[in-house]
Amino acid sequence: MQYKNFTVISLLLLSSCTKEINIDLNSSDAKIVIEGNISNEVGPYYVKLSKSVNFSESNIYPPISNAIVVISDNVGTIDTLIEEVSGTYKTQKTIGVPGNTYNLTVFIDGNKYTATSKMPIPVKLDSLKFGSFSGFGGDDSTYTVIPVFRDPESYGNNYRFIQTVDGELDKSYIIFNDNATNGIVNQRPIFSSDVDVRKNSEVKVEMRCVDPETYLYFYSLSQIAGNGPGGGTTPSNPPTNITGDVMGIFSAYSTQTITQIAP
Amino acid sequence: MNRLLICFFILFLPSLTLFGQSKYTISGTIKDKKNGETLINVSASLLEQPSIGTVCNEYGFYSLTLQEGTYKIIFRFIGYRSDTFLVALKSDMKLDHTMSLETSLLKEVVVNSKRKDDNIRKAEMGVERLDVKEIAKIPVIFGEKDILKTIQLLPGVKSAGEGNSGFFVRGGAADQNLILLDEAPVYNASHLLGFFSTFNSDALKDVSIIKGNSPAQYGGRLSSVLDVKMKEGNSQKYNVTGGIGLISSRLSIEGPIQNDKSSFMVSGRRTYADVFLKATEDYKDNSLYFYDLNAKANYRFNDKNRVYISGYFGKDVLAFGDNFKIDWGNTTGTIRWNHIISPKLFSNTSLIYSNYNYNIKLNSGGTDFNINSQIKDWNVKQEFQFFPSTKNSWRFGFNSIYHTITPNKFEGEGINNETKQSRYSLENALFVNNTMKIHERFNLDYGLRLSMYTVLGGDTYNIFDDGKLKDSVVLASGEFGKTYYNLEPRLQFSWMLNEVSSIKGGYARNTQSLHLLSNSTSANPTDQWIGNSYNIKPEISDQISLGYFKNFAENKYQFSVESYYKNLQNQIDYKNGADINSAPDIESELLYGMGRAYGVELLVKKTEGKFTGWIGYTLSRTERKIDGINNNDWYVAKQDRTHDISIVGMYELTPRWSLSGLFVYNTGNAVTFPSGKYNVDGNTVFLYTERNGYRMPAYHRMDIGATYTKPHKKNYESSWNFSLYNLYGRENAYTITFEDNPNDPSKTRAIQTSLFRWVPSITYNFKF
Repeated sequence: MQYKNFTVISLLLLSSCTKEINIDLNSSDAKIVIEGNISNEVGPYYVKLSKSVNFSESNIYPPISNAIVVISDNVGTIDTLIEEVSGTYKTQKTIGVPGNTYNLTVFIDGNKYTATSKMPIPVKLDSLKFGSFSGFGGDDSTYTVIPVFRDPESYGNNYRFIQTVDGELDKSYIIFNDNATNGIVNQRPIFSSDVDVRKNSEVKVEMRCVDPETYLYFYSLSQIAGNGPGGGTTPSNPPTNITGDVMGIFSAYSTQTITQIAP
Repeated sequence: MNRLLICFFILFLPSLTLFGQSKYTISGTIKDKKNGETLINVSASLLEQPSIGTVCNEYGFYSLTLQEGTYKIIFRFIGYRSDTFLVALKSDMKLDHTMSLETSLLKEVVVNSKRKDDNIRKAEMGVERLDVKEIAKIPVIFGEKDILKTIQLLPGVKSAGEGNSGFFVRGGAADQNLILLDEAPVYNASHLLGFFSTFNSDALKDVSIIKGNSPAQYGGRLSSVLDVKMKEGNSQKYNVTGGIGLISSRLSIEGPIQNDKSSFMVSGRRTYADVFLKATEDYKDNSLYFYDLNAKANYRFNDKNRVYISGYFGKDVLAFGDNFKIDWGNTTGTIRWNHIISPKLFSNTSLIYSNYNYNIKLNSGGTDFNINSQIKDWNVKQEFQFFPSTKNSWRFGFNSIYHTITPNKFEGEGINNETKQSRYSLENALFVNNTMKIHERFNLDYGLRLSMYTVLGGDTYNIFDDGKLKDSVVLASGEFGKTYYNLEPRLQFSWMLNEVSSIKGGYARNTQSLHLLSNSTSANPTDQWIGNSYNIKPEISDQISLGYFKNFAENKYQFSVESYYKNLQNQIDYKNGADINSAPDIESELLYGMGRAYGVELLVKKTEGKFTGWIGYTLSRTERKIDGINNNDWYVAKQDRTHDISIVGMYELTPRWSLSGLFVYNTGNAVTFPSGKYNVDGNTVFLYTERNGYRMPAYHRMDIGATYTKPHKKNYESSWNFSLYNLYGRENAYTITFEDNPNDPSKTRAIQTSLFRWVPSITYNFKF
């Protein structure tokens, strides 16, 4: 729940000022970053390998070339990926099927990194519902978007939503699980501090059914992202499902997208 | 160590029976003449032999047992005129007394109060008493005098953040302070996200803080005891006091109900920022306010029995239209019965209720959600105070608390959260404490507390190992589950080197069975309390402290240096990425570890004259080691501040005008900043290498204030208080965040947020 954002606003009301500052941050050893996705859409799928950079550098992340990247699944497919552009590896024959388990193996400079992800069975996203919402001192014309879907009977469903409003990608991490909402129609709205949904906005919502490890990864990122006045968590690297000293996530997910115009 | 202390007990127990036949006891209650309030800590001693004496307890009662004879007994209290009585002691006798303030008119009267050296004589260490009247002169933000902000100016006590009423004592966490209002624990002592405390100074009589070496009658928290006592109510005449400020207004009424038998006090306070919000078009649907109400009444049945009833009720509300509302508040109630069993034996029985809850309401698209949590206590405390001789006094008794803790619960349409139940527990304690004068120069204070915490039935308790469910214990309602026993020895002594200096030392073990879970870098009203369970063990701290105390210039200047080392066990933290709201069992998200803290505190204080004030300095280090954080290595805790300086000065310019100023400086908090970055799914993600490996910029600030007291008109007194917070407009960093640079997407940047530059305020106070 993103209610912390509201306390932030009330603090700011009391009087505050922000400014850009220079901080002398330590440099860090470049870490390997692995990001791999398999979905139930038609392939190919990609695995990206890169390295981290120091904070003060530009957002250009050195790609890792000449790695060996293999994806196998529980129905006997073994697929050695081909480097399409530097650091981006493309599957050749893997097919994303809900319910299947995918294994990623990466060899970089003789070191082996592995990860496993099971693609969840898709849950049907029916529609989007718009609720009016006014924030602190906000106008009444903004909406929150409620993705309408019925959570399956058993516990353990995890969701990640990616919202695009009028072509602008919402950068906030939006994740739900069914701990408190098992087996019922979702009524939880997407809270976003990044974009506003207004009258006649075109809202595109992608719903990804993700495995618990992917949920935990993005949940951790969402907690750190809330780092402002009124409190965020002490930041840490999100827990990854990839073995070895690396950052990133390997996620097999099923996906659906709905686009609707706000009333 | 434990065995050694038990030996001490056995050694000194015989002293109970050592009083002879021809001794008699003189006892009584000391009150303030002006308003009939009982006075705490008044010294009653022999004029010729000041080392033979006692002090009044927290209800103004004293008991002095002497050989048959004729004595001159003197009552002394700082700020009051000393009074001497000639007493022929032939049998037990009662001597009640009322004392008058030392006003300027009485200046010619020789004030013989040499005993202003309690600070060096008494065995107690790490104790500070605040004079509520004095606090009023210290400048504070928004002109709202506040005891919690004032104690942060003492060495060893650190502020939780800019303008924040939360505090850390000697490396402890914010939840490790026992905050008592008329004996009732206050679970969240802050209003408005910490900018104000729940304590309305108008309703308060006495405030003291004990930094870890608390006597055995206190227990349940590791770091400190903040003991706040409300006024009893003027038993002589009706009084109305109040104040009008920029942020809030206050009003108190007190007076006698039946002359000399009963009196009452009611005090209220409310902020009115929301009144201005309502007047604006953009913000008219929003609310942002808090209020609190203190009330107390007492009734004296006869010389031996007195009953006090006191209560506190406070609430914060923050709402945005119909979509979002959060409210939180404390309720406490205390009924106390003072009973003087014999001239030497005083009894107090307290029945205490305490409740803290919060509610969050969200409405979206016509659907309501609720998140709420509550902690509720029923508490019985029985304490006896026994005064066998002038060299010896005892306190013993028990305390039993029945806790009901309702964890953070989601409710509403579209929510099914049947798994979370309220949990019940019983926290019991037996305690005994003895203060004795072993030698003219040597005072000893020692005690023992047995703490027992029992998990009660009504819920299923899961046992986790490394976050994974290992076992479950189902306890039927009313069934007793696991009980934790802890023996807590306490000992402190003072050794007078000469008339003006002493050395003091102490050791204390404290345990804590209720824990505040917080995953945020600042205090939130939604942080949850949780009790011991099958996973969570009582937190334990052992503190050793040693100090040197010296007074100069006839006790006008006090100097002290205290050092401490504290070891902490069973500390709790959330694991990285903990799901704090919807995890089926929050205990699966916890990690455990230990901590250590050590430091030196220096204090120079001037207590008399036109200019008063103090300089406090603390050099300290606070570390934690939690399994699963920072590669299981030691790291500095968030509240670690190497240097911490406070300078407070008050100057009485003329009888009408008084000026005040303060300066604070401290090393920035330990924080975790990124050391690199990478990209996942199109977003920049920051790379962290070390927990709390960076520092916020140093914090410093100066505030000034002035008070103008208008000439009295008949019974009407009034004053104007002006203050300026952050005089030189320092932009202290409140937070530093990191983000993509919106102007140059190829770069990232650091953004510093500061609050409060130059906050002027003006308050009008009145009394009639």
